[in-house]
Amino acid sequence: MRKPWRFMALLLALALVAAACGGDDSSDTTADAGGGDATTTTTAAVTTTTSGGGDEPMAVELRWRTRPDNDQEAGVYRSVSETLSGTDAVLGATLNYEAGGTETEGYQQALLTQLGAGEAPDVFWIPGAEIANFAKRGVILNARDLADAAGHNDADFYPGPMAEMTTNPDTGAVDAGSYLWGLPRDVSAFALYLNNDLILEAGAEDPRELAAAGEWDWDAFRRVSEDLAALGGEVSPYGQSTWWGPVGYWMNSGGGGFYTDDRQSCNLDSDGSIAGLQFAADFYADGLALTFGEDPEPVFKAGNVGMFQNGRWATPGIREVTFDWDVVKLPDGPGGPSNWLFWGAYVINADTQYPAEAWALVQSLTAASVQGQVAELGANIPSRVSQAALDAFLTFSPPANNQAFLDGLSENPTTEAPDWIGDWPSYSSGLTTEAGAVISGARDIADFQANICAELGEFTASGS
Amino acid sequence: MTERSITTEHEPGPVLQDSQSDAPRWFLPVVALLALTAVGALVAGVLVFTGTLWGLNGLARLLVGAFLIAIGGGAALGVRDSLARAHRGRAIGVLVNYLVAIVFGFVALQNMGVFIGLDALGDRFFNAVWLLLVIALGWILASQSERFGTRAATVNRVGRWIAAIGGLVLLVGVGLIPGVIEFFVRLIALDVFIPFAIAVAGGAGFWMLRRDEAAALFGTTQDQAEALDGFLFASPNVLGFLAFFAGPLIFSFYVSFTSWDGLTDIQWIGLDNYARIFGLQFTSVGDGQAVTDVLKQNYQELIRWGDFVIAARDRLFWVGLRNIIVFSVTAVPLAVFPGLVLAAFLNQKLPGVKFFRAVYFIPAVAGVVGISLIWKQMFNATVGFVNFGIVKLFDLINLVPGVDVVEPVPEWLSNSRVALFSVVIVFAWQAVGFNTVLFLAGMQGISASLYEAASIDGAGAWSKFWNITVPMLRPTTLFVVATTTILALQLFNEPFILFSPQQQPSGPNNATLTPVIQLYQEGFQRFNQGFASALAWVLFGIIFSITILYFRRQREDDGTLGT
Repeated sequence: MRKPWRFMALLLALALVAAACGGDDSSDTTADAGGGDATTTTTAAVTTTTSGGGDEPMAVELRWRTRPDNDQEAGVYRSVSETLSGTDAVLGATLNYEAGGTETEGYQQALLTQLGAGEAPDVFWIPGAEIANFAKRGVILNARDLADAAGHNDADFYPGPMAEMTTNPDTGAVDAGSYLWGLPRDVSAFALYLNNDLILEAGAEDPRELAAAGEWDWDAFRRVSEDLAALGGEVSPYGQSTWWGPVGYWMNSGGGGFYTDDRQSCNLDSDGSIAGLQFAADFYADGLALTFGEDPEPVFKAGNVGMFQNGRWATPGIREVTFDWDVVKLPDGPGGPSNWLFWGAYVINADTQYPAEAWALVQSLTAASVQGQVAELGANIPSRVSQAALDAFLTFSPPANNQAFLDGLSENPTTEAPDWIGDWPSYSSGLTTEAGAVISGARDIADFQANICAELGEFTASGS
Repeated sequence: MTERSITTEHEPGPVLQDSQSDAPRWFLPVVALLALTAVGALVAGVLVFTGTLWGLNGLARLLVGAFLIAIGGGAALGVRDSLARAHRGRAIGVLVNYLVAIVFGFVALQNMGVFIGLDALGDRFFNAVWLLLVIALGWILASQSERFGTRAATVNRVGRWIAAIGGLVLLVGVGLIPGVIEFFVRLIALDVFIPFAIAVAGGAGFWMLRRDEAAALFGTTQDQAEALDGFLFASPNVLGFLAFFAGPLIFSFYVSFTSWDGLTDIQWIGLDNYARIFGLQFTSVGDGQAVTDVLKQNYQELIRWGDFVIAARDRLFWVGLRNIIVFSVTAVPLAVFPGLVLAAFLNQKLPGVKFFRAVYFIPAVAGVVGISLIWKQMFNATVGFVNFGIVKLFDLINLVPGVDVVEPVPEWLSNSRVALFSVVIVFAWQAVGFNTVLFLAGMQGISASLYEAASIDGAGAWSKFWNITVPMLRPTTLFVVATTTILALQLFNEPFILFSPQQQPSGPNNATLTPVIQLYQEGFQRFNQGFASALAWVLFGIIFSITILYFRRQREDDGTLGT
């Protein structure tokens, strides 16, 4: 190689290393937030590093991440990040928002890998059921002292999620005085999305009126379904997904549930759980529902399903339909009204260099104003219980009957909760498959009741 | 510089220079450096073995300790041979110094934060990337200067200046100046400077020993010099293979003997993960006994014939294995035979055939996620296009007088008996295009004279296809079947997308659970990286065995063809 080319190659390699060397993560933030040019950014990085031993304060930069459902939601988070960045609310920290992948794009996979490699963001969102997995492994920060110092009040948020956020990971018992694993970002509940045009065409009773009259129970639900079934053709009266949430509603509403009251043991074989499962199995066997396992959302949106059970997160998609639609709370079962309280939380990386700033960021992201901005998109319900937050949520229509979601959250909901001692992923996976087999007719319900807890009990806290 | 002579292939070749000359000044420092490396590696190896250094456990401690002691021992051997001026001493010195320079160079760069900073490099270059156009403009001007006649020299000079200035501005634009300052600032830190200094020392030792002067001093022959050069040329690839392929492979093998969640300390548990995978119980149930009464703790019923029961400690593994075998047996023929038929058609000289070659290849280059999402919509039993097509087809059939067939409406994704076949359709649809191209390439390699001879003998199209094309394509067919089978056994993406998030990726009643899906669920949803690694190695064993069978068959075929 001729010498000038050797020199050029060396210069280029040096430039690569040097440019990379000068470009720590702060460069992303600066570029994203302000669009500053490369040279400015690099200089800023140098200043940051060299100022460590001097009198100047260290520039604090925080990375935070959520799992947005769509680009619009990611845009709102990015806007929130830019608004908060550098303000007193986050103690002057510069914020760098990262839109994580979706559920099917391996959000958790990437997060776990980065946690293992020590490169995870300072603050990140995780589903409520995952809190135990992260807390038990010491990868998220116990922010109790920081929260107390900042005047945080646990009672500002729904109590169900807060009980999980204040659990001692070793005992599985709530210890609000010692633990706080973060704050709930949002909550959600199931409702029945209604195709009012089909209900009107079938001459069925209006579920909303039945609910208002306190008569919206399983019998009424079945009556309306039978009227809808009489329409014939491609119309299915009802549709639901097959994951543990919709299946669990039937068990909870039947008076049973996944766990015993102390959450120590399997309760899938209780009479209440079996009653709920039996109702669902009969309902499907009688042809009153879309085939179990078929994705009901596109069919509902095509106008062929009368009632569709799903969470608030489905609202933005349903808003696209052209027929008249609304929501109603889930029907009351023999066990009374029931629903799930789903939630996710912002937590702090245990290895963050800036815990105080990270806590300030978590507080800011769960402030009423920020929750309002996010909830306005339609997919979320604020996790704060203040009347102002609830009133604001009611205005985010359609659907007209937003109160149905709030009813779901207030009428005996079962909080989506991690199993601090047992193995929730294995338990939920097993029960979803086996309960689904019963509903679809692939497994006899008597066999289910006789054996399910022997099959899955090992994954509970008590092992039975 | 010593002049090298040409040698024959099988002779050792001449010694490049008298090796008994007095040692030059650089000799002792280089040998001392090698001795220092030997001592350092041996001490580090012993410390790793005793658990003092890095706190490794189990197999990791054994492997790393053994590796360091091997390096130290090798370096010590190198010192002895170097002092005796033997070529092996030089070769070991070159190798050890090279490794020291590379390893400590990487450690220095890592501690400097360069690799994390590389993430930002894309942004930096994006800001200044337009300057590449300036450089390209200058280069074009310089390279085309002869077109400018008498002004060629001037234009050439201007072009080169434009390229040079563009390059300089580009480097400044991507942060050269503050970057260089930052580089030296970070170099001051001890955890950077020490490995950097060791890397520089290793690099210097490597350079010293690589020179012809050293070759002559150590009595290196031409062949030995060329062999060493060959190894060094191959070393980037070999090191890359070790770091990014063999390294993770060995690590995952180690992890398969541990209980590890990917986040906390690794616990050595020996063969427990494999015992869980292969744990089977064969038993029988007596009258009035429940199955659960006769099963060992944590075992679940897998198969039952009358009173005879087979139970498994990890039932899902066997379910996944059954599914993947059924899947492969179904999907591979559906991905291979249509490919062969399509290739036969596309091998004809017909109008528009090139267009269809491209069309059939599109699924092979399209993203699996996108394809699966589209199929998911099409498979919807109520509003999907597949069932719509079936209904319309049967409507047409029913137009025939006297025919009244009830159209089937398969529940493609919700019926446990159909779900796996839905995945087969998607997989085969995607794989056929690529296999077609492979068959097409194979067909175009068959000599036309064979077909001409067959035509003269009166063979028809089918006879030629069956008696010439198919036998001559046997190596291609074996390759296609082998690669498609391997792909099938690694099935993950299609069911993962088709059945999420409405269901689990394992499908209705675990009908589409595959070993890789179980691996993913164990590793990333249940935090069982150890068990997931064990699953990966079992799957590897299965795939490797099948591949060996295929290749053995191919060798036998080659032998048959050869005779």
